[in-house]
Amino acid sequence: MNSLAKLGLLSLVAVLAIAPGCSKKPKNITPIPGSVGSATAPVTVVPTGPINRPPIDYGGRPLGPGNNPGRLEQPIDTSTPGGPGNSTGSTGLPTGNLGDGRIEDAATFAGATVYFDYDKSAVKTSEASKVTTVADFLKSHAEANLKVAGHADERGTEEYNRALSERRALAVREQLINGGVPADRITTEPYGEDKPADPGHDEAAWAKNRRAEFILLLPANLK
Amino acid sequence: MKFPPFLQTLAVCATILPAFAQEIVVTGNTAKKQPPIPITLTGYADEAEKVLKFDLYVAGFEIVSPAQAQYELKAGKSAEVQGTLLDTGNKHALFARSYPGGTTRAQAHMLSDDVVKAITGVPGIARTKIAYKAQSGLRNAAGENIGEIFVSDYDGANAFQATEDKTIATSPAWVPGQLALFYTSYRAGGPAVYSHNLSTGARTRVFAFNGQNSSAAISPDGTKVALILSKSGSPDLWVANLDGSGLRQLTHTPEPESSPCWSPDSKTICLTSTKDGRAQLYTIPASGGELRRLATGGVVNCTEPDWSPDGTQIAFTRASGEFTIYLVGAGGGDAKPITAGEDPSWAPNSRTIVFTRGRDGARRLSLLDVPTRQVKDVARLSGSCSQPSWAK
Repeated sequence: MNSLAKLGLLSLVAVLAIAPGCSKKPKNITPIPGSVGSATAPVTVVPTGPINRPPIDYGGRPLGPGNNPGRLEQPIDTSTPGGPGNSTGSTGLPTGNLGDGRIEDAATFAGATVYFDYDKSAVKTSEASKVTTVADFLKSHAEANLKVAGHADERGTEEYNRALSERRALAVREQLINGGVPADRITTEPYGEDKPADPGHDEAAWAKNRRAEFILLLPANLK
Repeated sequence: MKFPPFLQTLAVCATILPAFAQEIVVTGNTAKKQPPIPITLTGYADEAEKVLKFDLYVAGFEIVSPAQAQYELKAGKSAEVQGTLLDTGNKHALFARSYPGGTTRAQAHMLSDDVVKAITGVPGIARTKIAYKAQSGLRNAAGENIGEIFVSDYDGANAFQATEDKTIATSPAWVPGQLALFYTSYRAGGPAVYSHNLSTGARTRVFAFNGQNSSAAISPDGTKVALILSKSGSPDLWVANLDGSGLRQLTHTPEPESSPCWSPDSKTICLTSTKDGRAQLYTIPASGGELRRLATGGVVNCTEPDWSPDGTQIAFTRASGEFTIYLVGAGGGDAKPITAGEDPSWAPNSRTIVFTRGRDGARRLSLLDVPTRQVKDVARLSGSCSQPSWAK
């Protein structure tokens, strides 16, 4: 079996594993290796539902020590809230790590990326159906958690953009919660202007960069 | 113990920093441009001349011919940098000094600092440090624009890379009086706030909640960190001790807050909020209380405030298509544009600002002398530099 076909099969397995009521464990499947290699495989069409399964995306963020003159100490775990505090009326983010031991899948809902107007964080009416699609998926796939990644174009100042991009991700999260998805399954991540979808410097690029992306956090324990 | 050269320089910097806090600085009316002080240099060459010219220009001097000069700085004959400062009007010598030891660059910086102090009464800034974000233009496998934290002399010399995270590292903030930074890095996935001791290399992840952890600013008394966290459901202002303990939420708005800075007495925080629609500046007591709008005379889209160390003014960026740096009195009032650019950070002397200018992946750091409006570019790395923070 070539690697692309293997990826396709793995993707199919991923869907089967999270499909409700699916108790059959496929046989002869190689466990997911630590690295996918060239994970540019095309999207595999899954016969069981409308959602296309993606190649598995580990995020690809290198964590090697490099020759950093600084020494990274053992991280302090601050994931538990340090005190009381939420009276915004907004729903606070979960305190645990929703992605722990899970696979990041940025491709399944790549087509559902929500776009925003300049300097705005409200989800436009024209974008609302994308959020509904994702909410429906999450409601029928209790095993899946979600990360909403917020982005901004480059026209604001950097830290303003970081907060704006987070507000966009939170606005999408609030709509998902309103749509019936439990709040403790959705987290957010702000990228500001630092992860543009289009590196250009014109309105066409900026419009593509003012966005919130859906990244599924799927169980990794396929057997 | 033997430290590498850049740490030796940093150590010298640290020992002279506390003295700045004792000085009272008068910058005058920021709206009015002041003429530079004419000075002539006699007998300097090569690196010493280059460094002296840069330092004095940034300090608000103009290098002129002897006939036009109000002051003359004369070199000596020895190998090390020497300087005799004369008032050309009455021919009195203000000082005559030599600067043995260290590099020519360091000697020239010391001399220029002495000239500035002798003539203006305010300590010079030629031996201070800045930290900033530098982007190579490369993206990592995750599609992020790679940014790393650098530290250098205030003129860009002796640059040293503090991170090699190969991801987004940004928004450095100095711990006052220490060789230590707080900054944001995405090295563990999403954004987290790290503290990094530059002397030992020890780095600690201090804030890593779900959502946004960014924009750390350390109080001038060195006891608290203000930052933006979204863990309660919106990007809000929080304050904690430097080890992350005692975390407390100060704003509770559904709209985002960003870029906090501290008043010099560590009692008040100024920041940006969009709670009233457009981005505006607000102040809030660091011990908790209400957000109060800081009047800017109708200027909107105000971001990135930075409070001058003498407490009199706040510099900020107006982002309206173009970026413009403005000054406003710390009590609010008519904000005045001073230069095109963004990311202002005050020097310890409360008259010089380091800021970012240029766009499209080629931003560079520049130094602005506020009274004279004289601007010089910091020596640049290849790539794009932004988010400067001046050590205080």
